[in-house]
Amino acid sequence: MIVNLLSRAMMMSTPLLFGALSEVFAERTGVMVTAIEGIFLMGAWAGFTTAYISGSLSMGLLFAALAGLLVSILYAYLCVSLKQHQIVTGTAINILVAGLCSFLQRVVFGVPLSPLTVEPLQKIAIPLLSKIPVLGPIFFNQNILTYSVYLLVPLGFFILYKTSLGLIIRSTGENPEAVDVSGINVSKVRFVAVMFSGLMCGVAGAFYSIGYLGMFTTNIIGGRGWIAFAICFLGNWNPIGAFVGTIIFGLAEAFAILMQSSSSTFLPNELFIALPYILTIILTISRKSFNVPAKLGSAYVKEN
Amino acid sequence: MDKKTRDIFITSFLAILFGLICSGIMILFLGKNPISTFALLFSSMFRDGYTIGEIFVKATPLIFTSLAFAFTFKANLFNIGAQGQFYIGSLVAASISLLIPHAIAIPIAIIMAFILSGIWGGLIGFCKARFKANEFLISMMSTYVALNLMNYLLRTVLLESKGEYPQTDSLSKNTWLFKIVPHTRLHVGFILAIVVAILIWLLLYRTTLGFRIRAVGQNQEAARMSGVNPELIFVFAFFISGGLAGLAGVTEVNGVQHMLLQGFNPSIGSIGIGIAILANANPIGIIFASILFGALQVGGTIMGQISGVPSSIIDLMEGFVMVFVIISYFIRNKWEINREKKLLTEGVK
Repeated sequence: MIVNLLSRAMMMSTPLLFGALSEVFAERTGVMVTAIEGIFLMGAWAGFTTAYISGSLSMGLLFAALAGLLVSILYAYLCVSLKQHQIVTGTAINILVAGLCSFLQRVVFGVPLSPLTVEPLQKIAIPLLSKIPVLGPIFFNQNILTYSVYLLVPLGFFILYKTSLGLIIRSTGENPEAVDVSGINVSKVRFVAVMFSGLMCGVAGAFYSIGYLGMFTTNIIGGRGWIAFAICFLGNWNPIGAFVGTIIFGLAEAFAILMQSSSSTFLPNELFIALPYILTIILTISRKSFNVPAKLGSAYVKEN
Repeated sequence: MDKKTRDIFITSFLAILFGLICSGIMILFLGKNPISTFALLFSSMFRDGYTIGEIFVKATPLIFTSLAFAFTFKANLFNIGAQGQFYIGSLVAASISLLIPHAIAIPIAIIMAFILSGIWGGLIGFCKARFKANEFLISMMSTYVALNLMNYLLRTVLLESKGEYPQTDSLSKNTWLFKIVPHTRLHVGFILAIVVAILIWLLLYRTTLGFRIRAVGQNQEAARMSGVNPELIFVFAFFISGGLAGLAGVTEVNGVQHMLLQGFNPSIGSIGIGIAILANANPIGIIFASILFGALQVGGTIMGQISGVPSSIIDLMEGFVMVFVIISYFIRNKWEINREKKLLTEGVK
């Protein structure tokens, strides 16, 4: 049972990592992607719809990424180009996307008589490695997106701390004037970082619709985008921190699913459903030392 | 009217217009004629006395949740959890009305809902003040906690006596908010909402406390230097904000539903934020923006029933309007700067 729980935790942490890691990159340049919940939802819808129509999950993932990219371009235009308030803009876009998805769902599918489903992503057991007791089923019998996490975390860390690109990203959030003086366009760096976040979060959203449930409902994301957003904060804007955070939340979510299905009346179900959210509150309160990017959330206005 | 106010009217009007145009384009995807759809939307709103009354019924809770967002926004704080505070207020209102099936329950429900959802909100402010926690995240997460709390209570102690659905029994008629216009559902809660909005305006712009709140919003450190305690303001602002959202619970439970249903009005909090954005967080502007959004909802619901255009077009329309309102902030700012520059160059000559 423990193995089952941990294996599920690895799976449930995958979309959170996609979201949190890309949020780390965007926030290191100084832009909070507060449209993250909407981007997740857009990705979930586009992924499901494409997969349902084309019958191909990889097409679904591709279009989920593109749909996320579109939403993030709108967000970046308002926040980076027009320098509008990031939280206000994000809220507006989240409302827009929620309306858009339920409208488009109706346009494309009408009012279906039975729930529409697709076959979700299959688990791929890696030969030999998946046979290792305990560790095998946890780490090496997962779907393709979860495997990509093993690559993304070290890659993200390497890019952010060991390359000149990473240096530019980090400096843009800490000291945009210096970046500007060295001839790099601050707005461009931020715009691209938000676009990257849109691609990744679109895929993350699609994980819920086609990677796991095989269906789409308008409340499918249910605050998971915000949890990824929180993990970025709690993980101290660091890819490794984000990874640790997503594992904790993946565990909480897997535990909640396990407790709900075990039909014990010992504690109410609702408590377990609320567990990831309560955990976010507790961790937000108890974290003390934050390493906030200096210019996080403020627009860069060039003096002239 | 000074130039700034004129700009606000022009740009807001344009934002709404562009929002309508964008949603019109979306209607084309359905293979419907957007012009006749909009004509139907507007004629549905004013079909008869009942639907006109409905506009104000729908506007009532939106005024409260929108004020809730605007109040903390003035202190540069973000209360994204009005939805949860609304649920807490609904729980309190329903519990009190079920316990005391007399008219006296109404004032008690109003006061207790304000206080308890105020405390629920105030805790967020406390976390911000005491632990420097991010209020945006905590308020967002508190909604999901409140929702699950409500689901749990509706499944157990508050469950209807038939025990079929997760909802309470109907409230005693004594505890219903009385109607102010016959043959409509319009109840006294609307008047309450208007009065509260005016009170909030007075509090923010005509009292020292309101000045302090806005001072903390403008520049927290400067406010601290001049003797304002920002931490106290955090807690106070969130308490009032939570209480305001809780009042929406009273007007919905005692005024409209006359019972508590699982997961009712699920987007009242987020639409409230949208209205506050449209009204530039001005309490008086919020009244009018709420009536506008209320009218859209009434028209959209009727339209959805008769024309086959889904009522989610209204959410979409509201979303587009908000995005254009944000663009209009940018344009207004640009006009303002240009005016200042012109004044400056004229002054130099």
